Amino acid sequence: MKKILLLVLALIPVLTFAQGFQVNLEGQKQIGMGHTGTGLVQDGASAFFNPGAMVLLPENYIQAGISPLLFKSDFNPAGTNVQDQSLNKVATPFNFYAVWGPKSSWWKLGLGVYTPFGGLTDWGKSWQGKYVLESLDLKAIYFQPTLSIKINKVFSIGGGFVYNRGSVDLTQAIPLGNSSGQDGQAELKGTGKGYGWNAGIFIKPSSKISIGLTHRSKVSTTINNGNAIFTVPTSLQSGFPQPNSFTSTIPLPATNSLGIGLYPTDKWTVAFDVNLVNWNVYKVLAFDYKTNTSSLQDTYSQRNYKNAVTLRAGAQYKATTKTALRFGGGYATTAVQDGYVTPEAPDANRVYVTAGLGYKLTKGLDVDVSFEYEHLMSRTQTNIQSQLSGTFKTNVYIPGISLAYHW
Amino acid sequence: MKTLKHFIYIIIGLVGLAACKPEINTPKPSHGTANFSRFIAVGNSLTAGYADGGLYLQGQLNSYPAIMAKQMLSVGGGTFTQPLFSTAQANGSGYLQLTGFSSTGSPITAPVTSNLAVREILPVPGFGNVTLYSKYSGDINNYGVPGIKLLNITYAPYGNLNGFYERLLPGDSPTNTTPYLAFITAKPFTFFSNWLGNNDALAYATSGGAGDVLTDPTTFAALNTLLINTLTATGAKGVVATIPDVTSIPYFNTVTEGAILAGVQKANPTVTGLYINALVSGTNYAPRVATPADLIVLTFPTSKIGQPVSTPYGNLPYGLTPYTPIDNQYVLDANEVTLTENAVTAFNTTIVSTANAKGLAVFDAYTFLKNIKLNGLVTNGISLNSNYISGGLFSLDGVHLTPRGYAIVANEFIKAINAKYGSNIPLADVAAYGGIKFP
Repeated sequence: MKKILLLVLALIPVLTFAQGFQVNLEGQKQIGMGHTGTGLVQDGASAFFNPGAMVLLPENYIQAGISPLLFKSDFNPAGTNVQDQSLNKVATPFNFYAVWGPKSSWWKLGLGVYTPFGGLTDWGKSWQGKYVLESLDLKAIYFQPTLSIKINKVFSIGGGFVYNRGSVDLTQAIPLGNSSGQDGQAELKGTGKGYGWNAGIFIKPSSKISIGLTHRSKVSTTINNGNAIFTVPTSLQSGFPQPNSFTSTIPLPATNSLGIGLYPTDKWTVAFDVNLVNWNVYKVLAFDYKTNTSSLQDTYSQRNYKNAVTLRAGAQYKATTKTALRFGGGYATTAVQDGYVTPEAPDANRVYVTAGLGYKLTKGLDVDVSFEYEHLMSRTQTNIQSQLSGTFKTNVYIPGISLAYHW
Repeated sequence: MKTLKHFIYIIIGLVGLAACKPEINTPKPSHGTANFSRFIAVGNSLTAGYADGGLYLQGQLNSYPAIMAKQMLSVGGGTFTQPLFSTAQANGSGYLQLTGFSSTGSPITAPVTSNLAVREILPVPGFGNVTLYSKYSGDINNYGVPGIKLLNITYAPYGNLNGFYERLLPGDSPTNTTPYLAFITAKPFTFFSNWLGNNDALAYATSGGAGDVLTDPTTFAALNTLLINTLTATGAKGVVATIPDVTSIPYFNTVTEGAILAGVQKANPTVTGLYINALVSGTNYAPRVATPADLIVLTFPTSKIGQPVSTPYGNLPYGLTPYTPIDNQYVLDANEVTLTENAVTAFNTTIVSTANAKGLAVFDAYTFLKNIKLNGLVTNGISLNSNYISGGLFSLDGVHLTPRGYAIVANEFIKAINAKYGSNIPLADVAAYGGIKFP
């Protein structure tokens, strides 16, 4: 008769995407120049940066690059002098491009494989926010076959179809201790897919200036039948039936870009990009569990993201015929409004600087190295849903290297 | 090529930067205008770390004063010693353990009876049996004594009647003559917390208004003034807490009139109400039909309902007729609730005004727990409320707190102290303290 409605827990994992999950590492030459490239023709990465510019590549390209990313975040819980630091984990965003077409033809075909969204954050199992998140490993790999067409001397256009293969692995502690006081654990693990497109216009009115305009569409990615693994004390396991699965749809937002390239001398290239990321599509995040119980309800949480803007600038200096030096930087506004910041990607306005070096190894082979340092402004927040309260500060370090073969 | 070399150095240097961890600047620790070098805690079972119906080592280690003292270390806090049970007798008085759930979802508890610290059960003439525990003879910072009322603090023989107090005193019951107030102030201290007074209302309430009496508010006020004057006599600063509304605890809100009646009606739909023996006025009790305003205690053995009771009118079912009402001891009826609430309100007025007069910090536990009862509490991604077991805040006895509950209380004390004395004692990590242990 001591009947209790046991454990209606509104605490089951909630996954967040933020500007922090947009990975802007789509080509080493471009990273070196502050990740500009919408208004330039650099290499095969044009398949991503501006499909309209791809046809103007003087040669065929095959290239691959990798940007090991170290995301170092620190959380200071409100009212304490504790510093909870995320563990050292290296994510590996990569890019691969192939571009082919008859010499000096009016068309070119390309394929881009790149990772525009992703995140790897691991706070460990004993930090203050463990019931909000322990670790998240999120990957989105876009496959993009692309066609680029030259209309006339000034105008060219291009477009590609995007297939996304996404994967997620999220872990979180559940505040239900067993007889030795150990927390329960939740893990959501699954893969999903989504579709979209990428199109661009490239305009080169003179040898001194070029302009690019692109739209990369929203890619609504659905994870079907992901594993929902709950480890709880034996006496409560019936409330968290196993095996169980979940379904969730996440809109990876569209990005609009405008880029300008300037060529003041033979040796200098200067570029400016503006991106508008339509994060406002990300209103809510819902998880639908296949088997529900009174303890395990579907979740529906407000995200209310706002659109974000990134301003980028970069330059390249051809020091010798074989070497190019690059540098750049930018500023990105956060998509996450106050009250919605979470440890998955403790987003904030950010500044970044980049440097890069290109070297011609042989006639057809370039090696490019890049380095990017990003600093996310410290942000003091109390999350509306979890009431996790404190200050986040994050630095991101991203070295990178790529090889490009062209003929 | 020279520029190239420089550039390579720059890039190597930048990669080296990756070794640096971000760090957030925090304010320098400060004790403000208080001095935490010798902090003592004055109070009852809540202060002692009592939980799950008993005082045991694990509970003592997670008492709110122990959590506070740990947080005070960075702002000049000293060693904080508690009268801990030994590891060999870690289960102290014994306590309740959750062993599982019945098919209907009711929790099943079982007492822990091994490794106890029980010394003997002593019959004290004119009082009754007193359970005595293994003596503790070291230094003490946590003076929490389960069961003590503010009413008892000047009573010289009290050390013979409460086993938890007796174990702290050098003498054996019934030879003790040291009143609690003299005992706690014997050694100098610089800071104190005081959370006495709960039992002056709670003991009455948990006995269904049958086994104890409410302390008279005038007596309460006089003793509280004496206590605070004595504690502050040598210049010590401190924090006091108000008394929670006893009706906001799961002990009174889990086994409800509605739930019992629904259970009875399942078997016998013709039953329309439960009968209780309710307070009319003064000491007059009369049977009447129970309403949701009558609070039934958590420990009521619901299996008693409907059992035949022999009466002058024949055998009648327990709790279901005016001749066989539920015993007084199981019910805090609506009038008794009012009496209790009035007493608590009066006590709290006294506590706050005395503290204000002395410039002490106040943690308003009454308001804090009432808010949780109404709205729940979400912190660090944990959703807590005042429900029995599922709420995460109250331990298995439905009165005392879980370690997580005590950590939350410790933080509220700390916030009150910081606000009053301009200190910045860091808050404890609530997520690091556990809740109910499930098998």
